[in-house]
Amino acid sequence: MNTNPSRRILVGVGNAGVTVLDMLSVEVPGMTGLLAVNNDRDSLNASIVRDKIEVPEGDPGEGFRVIDDEFGQALDGASVVILCGGLGGETGSFLLPALAIRAKSTGLTTMACVGMPFSFEGKHRRDLAERALEKLQEICDAVIVIGNDQLSGGSPSTAAVGEAFLLSDRTLLASLLALSGMLSTSGPVKITRADIHNVLGKPGALTHFGFGKAEGSNRLHEALERAMKSPLLALPGKGSALKETSMILLLLRGAKDISFAEVQAVVGKIEQIAGDNCQIKVGVHADGPLGSPLELYLLASSGGTVRKPAKTIESIEPSEPIGSNRITLPQPIKSIREGEMPSRRAPLEKGADEFFPALTNPTSKSGMKPAVSPKQMQGTLALDTYQRGRFDKSEPTIFEGEDLDVPTFLRKGIKLNPPSRK
Amino acid sequence: MANEQIFVGLEIGTTKISVIVAEARADDQISILGVGETPSRGVRKGEIVDMETVTECVREAILDAEDKTNVEIGNVWVAITGSHLESFNNRGSLALPEERQIEPEDLDAVEISAKEVAIPTPNTFLHTILQAYHVDGNQNVIDPLKSEGAMLEADFHIVHGIKTRIHNTLRCIESLKIGIEDVVLSSLASAQVVLSQDQKNYGALMIDIGGGTTDYLVYIDGSIRHSGVLALGGDHITNDISVGLRLPIARAELLKIQEGSATDPAGSPGGIILLKNDPRFLGCDVDRTSLDTIIYLRVNEIFELIRRDIESSVEGMIDLIRGVMITGGGSKLKGIAQVAEEVFEIPVELTRARNVSGATQIFEDPQYSTAIGLTKYARLVTKNIAPESMLERFTQRLGSLFKKRSR
Repeated sequence: MNTNPSRRILVGVGNAGVTVLDMLSVEVPGMTGLLAVNNDRDSLNASIVRDKIEVPEGDPGEGFRVIDDEFGQALDGASVVILCGGLGGETGSFLLPALAIRAKSTGLTTMACVGMPFSFEGKHRRDLAERALEKLQEICDAVIVIGNDQLSGGSPSTAAVGEAFLLSDRTLLASLLALSGMLSTSGPVKITRADIHNVLGKPGALTHFGFGKAEGSNRLHEALERAMKSPLLALPGKGSALKETSMILLLLRGAKDISFAEVQAVVGKIEQIAGDNCQIKVGVHADGPLGSPLELYLLASSGGTVRKPAKTIESIEPSEPIGSNRITLPQPIKSIREGEMPSRRAPLEKGADEFFPALTNPTSKSGMKPAVSPKQMQGTLALDTYQRGRFDKSEPTIFEGEDLDVPTFLRKGIKLNPPSRK
Repeated sequence: MANEQIFVGLEIGTTKISVIVAEARADDQISILGVGETPSRGVRKGEIVDMETVTECVREAILDAEDKTNVEIGNVWVAITGSHLESFNNRGSLALPEERQIEPEDLDAVEISAKEVAIPTPNTFLHTILQAYHVDGNQNVIDPLKSEGAMLEADFHIVHGIKTRIHNTLRCIESLKIGIEDVVLSSLASAQVVLSQDQKNYGALMIDIGGGTTDYLVYIDGSIRHSGVLALGGDHITNDISVGLRLPIARAELLKIQEGSATDPAGSPGGIILLKNDPRFLGCDVDRTSLDTIIYLRVNEIFELIRRDIESSVEGMIDLIRGVMITGGGSKLKGIAQVAEEVFEIPVELTRARNVSGATQIFEDPQYSTAIGLTKYARLVTKNIAPESMLERFTQRLGSLFKKRSR
């Protein structure tokens, strides 16, 4: 396990982290660059993750040596490390910051997805978790914080304890997928590491995270609706947290036929909620087989203190002028032919064309230059020319992908005799 | 007159806000004292989008009702609708420690067990409506309290919706310093006055077509089997006309009311409808077949969507429905019953509040079905005399539960 071809390592730390990686291996078979780190041999032995590091318990000196040597080796050839685990326990609270320091010392972009303990786990764990989080936020370029209390806030009081932890693990997994998915977006519309740092690099900030998955003709609206229902996207008593944020990261992953219109629609809906002052950064992975479900991930943060970019952020391959790739709704792409990439600084021209370029090239890695590959697939752009009339600004009534606010006769393509004016 | 109680029903609709003040008479009847009403602003598709405006409208409607009836309104029953409301059927079960007579607490416990299902986190339960009790596998036990057994089961129709949206309605009313007795699903309220007990037993589908939403409810064997809210209503018809014939919304609305017909355009008399000049509108000639086509397609689609929803909810349920009752302001559209008959292939009847007395002009208009239904519902929930059916006996118990919750 020397060089990691994907150049991105996902590290599951502690029991929670290892569980999440196991779930990930089941969900995304064949994923490489996974590493389980724990001090619990039984948990490591039970894990289906191939690469494992056991950090001995009770001997801090030996522990640091293992982190320094074995973990250091595992980092060979990687460019990004994402740590994942639960804070509050002795293992995660100690190991996560230690591993982050080690990764950072090699000059790697280091990120973390961590879960904060439930309040019923006691004040001791809470304090431990908070101290560890503070450290992590100091070290890492980006930290996603999943508040378990907040997460379970809306679930029925009858939910079993096990279910609550499962939900927490599932959310951690989703956030891990979101982060690693965002890091590997490429093409004209992508999320850069600088964007991620911008959103998730603020010490003390609350992370807002939502994800939804849906299929069928109404997939986009359903996925977005599910994502918006995430309790982590709400501020107690204030409604949607998106209103309080200045930048939102949006990742769409799904079948090849994700259409430009769909991306536009989802960005438009989020803009409606978040307001005009919020930037939305979009990344799309349209590499799944036809019919695969659409996954939608939203990441944002509120509060916290702005920090200067960590040093390694400057070492990112020059790829993207920061802030040039914002999609705004009323600007459909006119036409981009193969090999003829428009300057990404130039505003997208208005107009309509039958085709749109693929938004990502799935095989290109974050470091590669974002050129349009000749293999890029094209899809039909469903232009929304329908008239919604007085319902223009109201929440649409969508059924099986049809916008029912649009007059039935228009949707059925029935021709009418126009009125004659005298 | 000591036995008489005053109930106030408030419906915040998309088109209008109506307040019905009714008196419960000793003979189990509801007598309407008067209605307060204002055109509604700030409501879209049955949901509040502009809190301040809606609150002002509600205030006006309440004042109007107080003026007309000389009743000082302190507490109201509120109807709620919106496409966020969802429903499903669920069975709760309770194993008793030993074979014994069933106690009232057991009925509560079995209801709680039926609610132990995951609903989306932002949602809250609105109604848990009893369908039937089963004791030791003995189906449809009329009065479980008199039977003995070791296993009590009960089927419920459960309605839930997004908490914050339900709270919007409550907040709007509470800001006027008016108390809320309970929140009632619009279609459940309407059904109390437009369906007779026979129809409920026989199998009926009630459709309440409003301005912003169409609410529907299915009764089979006397209990509610399905309910739904479609965020489509009369406003959509008006909008379609406005878009299709390029008319301003107000002119389109007028044309719909005066000339609109939902019947199949194949049978349309055709010809031209003359729209006269008025100060804000340049007159034009409208093709009647086009107008009929626009309306027919929309109305037909609304009924199709309802039919498909019922078909997909419980298998075979649609075949148990013996009649369709249509009410609400939208039911005043000419020819609407024929379209429903085409879609559902069973007898269709246009209906309005029944078994009420008082200011007759009011309840003869189908657009007040929900608000009147609220007062009837209130009566059923709060009265102490023996209710006419098992369902109503249950809603009575539910009502007291609700009160505990809301205070």
